[in-house]
Amino acid sequence: MSASRVAFGGPKSPAGRKRRLARSPAAPRPHPALAGLALLAAGAGLGATLAATITSQPASQLSARGGLLTYAGSLTGMIGTYLALIMVLLVSRIPFVERVAGLDGLLRVHRAVAPWPISLLAAHALLLTLGYAEAARAGVWREAGVLLTRYPDVLTATIGLAVMCLIGIISVRAVRRRLRRETWWLVHLWMYLALAISFAHVIVLGPAFVGHPLTQVVWSVAWAATAGLVLCYRFGLPAVRSLRHRLTVAEVRQEGPGVVSVICTGRRLDRLAVSGGQFFCWRFLTRGMWWQAHPYSLSALPQPPYLRLTVKAVGDHSAALASLRPGTPVAIEGPYGAFTRYVQRRPRALLVAAGIGVTALRSLLEDLPRGSAPVVLLRASQPADLVLSTEVRELVRHRRGTIHELVGSRGEAAIDEVSLPRLVPDLAQRDVYVCGPEGFVASIADTARNLGIPEEAIHHEAFAL
Amino acid sequence: MKRAPWLVAAGAVAGFLGVVGLHKTAAPAALASQGTQPVGQAGHNSQRGPARQAGRRSSPGAATVTTLGAVQRYGYGELAARVSIRGGRITGITVPVLRTAEQYSQQLAVQVIPTLRSEVLAAQGTRINAVSGATYTSQAYALSVQAALDKAHFR
Repeated sequence: MSASRVAFGGPKSPAGRKRRLARSPAAPRPHPALAGLALLAAGAGLGATLAATITSQPASQLSARGGLLTYAGSLTGMIGTYLALIMVLLVSRIPFVERVAGLDGLLRVHRAVAPWPISLLAAHALLLTLGYAEAARAGVWREAGVLLTRYPDVLTATIGLAVMCLIGIISVRAVRRRLRRETWWLVHLWMYLALAISFAHVIVLGPAFVGHPLTQVVWSVAWAATAGLVLCYRFGLPAVRSLRHRLTVAEVRQEGPGVVSVICTGRRLDRLAVSGGQFFCWRFLTRGMWWQAHPYSLSALPQPPYLRLTVKAVGDHSAALASLRPGTPVAIEGPYGAFTRYVQRRPRALLVAAGIGVTALRSLLEDLPRGSAPVVLLRASQPADLVLSTEVRELVRHRRGTIHELVGSRGEAAIDEVSLPRLVPDLAQRDVYVCGPEGFVASIADTARNLGIPEEAIHHEAFAL
Repeated sequence: MKRAPWLVAAGAVAGFLGVVGLHKTAAPAALASQGTQPVGQAGHNSQRGPARQAGRRSSPGAATVTTLGAVQRYGYGELAARVSIRGGRITGITVPVLRTAEQYSQQLAVQVIPTLRSEVLAAQGTRINAVSGATYTSQAYALSVQAALDKAHFR
């Protein structure tokens, strides 16, 4: 066993057997400057969309009957549609962006921006109907009928908008909590359809496009390129990776109460570039599970031909993992996540995990160099919940680090502004990596901030994606 | 990323200015020239209906005042209306300037301008209804007619 690796042991190589562990290559280094360029481009697109809308509609139109409403209607429509494009790009898993922001970070932005395109597009439909009705001195309902039946492609766009609104409603936290994750996700996928059937009316009717062939071309290319990125990075690349590595379940191992490790075997895992702390979206190709992919961290770096994930049963899917049979094929999407050694800003690291958050911590720890002297805090409410702690202890020892296992209720084993500096005296020289349930991660991040750790030295990975 | 909002803002300003600049240089070419053709002057429509009525009611000796409204740009093109006034009544409207972005808008404009014309003649003003399916054209028409009426100090 090489000094800095700890074998988790596949079925045919019992843990502890001495053998040289092959190292799969690290995931490519993130380049924040590239992500900065992407942000700049996103801003430029927004500005250009705004300008194209404004220049195509002279200000004099504002004084026409219904002019103000139609002007506002076309502005909200254009900005809303542009934001919809950004929403798709945010989840398209463009590698150079994902490496910097992490899939979870991108999804957070996606969720934060989401209300805007939907409400702007709803406003667009409402404002234009009101504006056209005012201009025609017709009733709103009559004008809505005219818009739907006489204007080209408006009917399909309206259906698209209805689907978007439906998706908006089921994504509101209060509603979403009552739905099964899988139901929500499937309905959410209709968004692609909604966007596709709404595309035509923009080009045919939008004042910024009619008679502006250049704008038409740029807009169409932007959408086609976005669709291409989605196809390539959400579907193509995962399919290629899954086929290349052909993972199958080798063994399911009980690690603690409700916690199982799934050990997969695959081909050419020495070519699978992944960094410690990253996760994959796993799709187990068996009855009842094949259609859903769930994000779980690797609980160790690949040890060709083995790959291991460790999961605590909290939902239907994670509970079903315990009954996986050896030989079940596995498809992967990823690796994703920016919770890696690359984001470290200061000389040393403090790694904090609660409960099953130890999985990402364990693989991240493996990526830290020898002599990096990490401090590791593991928190659990009872000793049995400290899963993988033997492996973690071993890895910490190899790196001349320190480990504290805090077991007890939140009150007894609190990590706060008082206890943290006592456990980690050189906190000021360390980056803080936190992994665990959302509430835990938020509280540790707050504590770190209160202790004067700058934002860019606090890295977190919460479970709920 | 702390700089994220600034990068987006800088990009937005650059994109906005870029397109405005492009628009300024490309503006004359933006409208495919469908030619300047008078619409609603000739044709059977002009000699019927409210126009003739108006003509009958006005005193025979009154002079006809003709004014040209400002060129109105709208989403899909631009137009200008010329209004004839005799004896305090609008007696005729033509559209000497009509340039649209593409063929469909041109056809639509040619179709709806006679309707708009008879609406103005009937209303003797620009309190008219936009034609469904041609809201922008209707708005621009009403604005240009109003500009011509203002020039003639009509009411």
